[in-house]
Amino acid sequence: MEDNYFLAKWLNDEMTETELAEFIPAADFDQFKKIKNYTNHLKVADFDEAKVLEKVLNHKKANPQFIPMFGTGILKYAAILVIVLSAFFLTQNLVSDTQYAENGKKTTFSLPDASEVVLNSGSEIKYKKWNWNSNRNLELKGEAFFKVAKGKRFEVTTDLGKVAVLGTQFDVKARESRFDVTCFEGRVKVNYNTKEIILTKGQSVCFENGIQTNSQSENLQPEWLNNEIAFNKANLKSILGEIQRQYNVSITVKSDYSSDLFTGKLPTNQLDIALQIIAETYHLVPKKTTSNQIIFEGK
Amino acid sequence: MSTVSLSEVCKESVFTAFFKNHAKPLRNFLLYKYGNEDQAEDMAQEAFIKLWQNCASVTLEKAKSYLYTVANNSSLNEIAHQKVVLNFENNFSGLDRTNQNPEYLMEEKEFKNKLLNAIEKLNETQRVAFLMHRIDSKKYSEIAEELQISVKAVEKRIHLALVQLRKEINI
Repeated sequence: MEDNYFLAKWLNDEMTETELAEFIPAADFDQFKKIKNYTNHLKVADFDEAKVLEKVLNHKKANPQFIPMFGTGILKYAAILVIVLSAFFLTQNLVSDTQYAENGKKTTFSLPDASEVVLNSGSEIKYKKWNWNSNRNLELKGEAFFKVAKGKRFEVTTDLGKVAVLGTQFDVKARESRFDVTCFEGRVKVNYNTKEIILTKGQSVCFENGIQTNSQSENLQPEWLNNEIAFNKANLKSILGEIQRQYNVSITVKSDYSSDLFTGKLPTNQLDIALQIIAETYHLVPKKTTSNQIIFEGK
Repeated sequence: MSTVSLSEVCKESVFTAFFKNHAKPLRNFLLYKYGNEDQAEDMAQEAFIKLWQNCASVTLEKAKSYLYTVANNSSLNEIAHQKVVLNFENNFSGLDRTNQNPEYLMEEKEFKNKLLNAIEKLNETQRVAFLMHRIDSKKYSEIAEELQISVKAVEKRIHLALVQLRKEINI
């Protein structure tokens, strides 16, 4: 009975006197009983509780430094779920969506308002799906054709300039230092540096190194949608750049670059013909080293 | 939910009710431990001030253990123990109230004095547990919770206290 503290049990009325008598002699028991009885009438001095309480309440409450947000397990999981869902929602809508067209390929896609975009080879477009209908804004690198559904202001931003429309079809091309915009339907507003130009159906404008060139077109669509590229007073470098993007080839010129400008069309599905046209125009000889390596040499 | 009880302790009415339930037992506990009324009162007050200041981060269920933890910890660097001032209830006169025999009354007075001295001589842990039970009528489980020990340990202290008291009275 080492850990059976029978006196404690008896004092706490968990054990009767008869039970206790089994543990201790009767003489001792009388004394324990006396102690129990007497200590039952002990008291200590009271104190002024009201005064203490007043003093305590006069202290300012500290600002909570830490408030546990999630007391119970289920709330914790609910919170995690909310966070995961909102992260998913944010990535889906707020983070920019990017569309690419690799070299040699074209990409067609629709915007949330059913506007259509065709990206020409080697181009990229960034936009936000979130709140699209009231904020139709795209960032373009390269060239793209837009068929814009009617609605609020639709903006295409490039490194070179900005195009804003209400509902129309137009083509924007921003390559190196040349910025081309062609309007196929409706009206298009073009901003280039400080200039602002309004294009109507069939009009196109080109800015290169601050020089503005206007032209007219009978087409209903940009030529590149029909496997052709049209050039209007383009230099050799930009023509070769376009060919490299359309056919996904690399072209080296082992001769001086001619400063002659080219106006005309090149096919985008027959590399040999396109190369032949360039060769004859600029008096060069094309050589294919591998299937996607072309060298132009001077005659 | 925890946010509900968070603010609860901060409500003055809730805090006041809590104070009324626990102020005296806490102060008594400190008194049994240190034997000094003023000090016990001050330390009890300090513990309640800390609870009040941090009410936002202490739930009502945790408030009591918070209080006793503060009281237990703050005790460490306080002054040396003094004699516990204990008294018997005014109208208490021993076992036999009808017996006014002077000899009996003398014996009774002597026993009371012996008992108080014996309590004073108990070691601190036994005295605290014993008096919390006898004066504040606390259950062993409550004492265990407040002293932050097991119920078994409380029983041991009470048992040894009784053994010690009887021994001391019989000398």
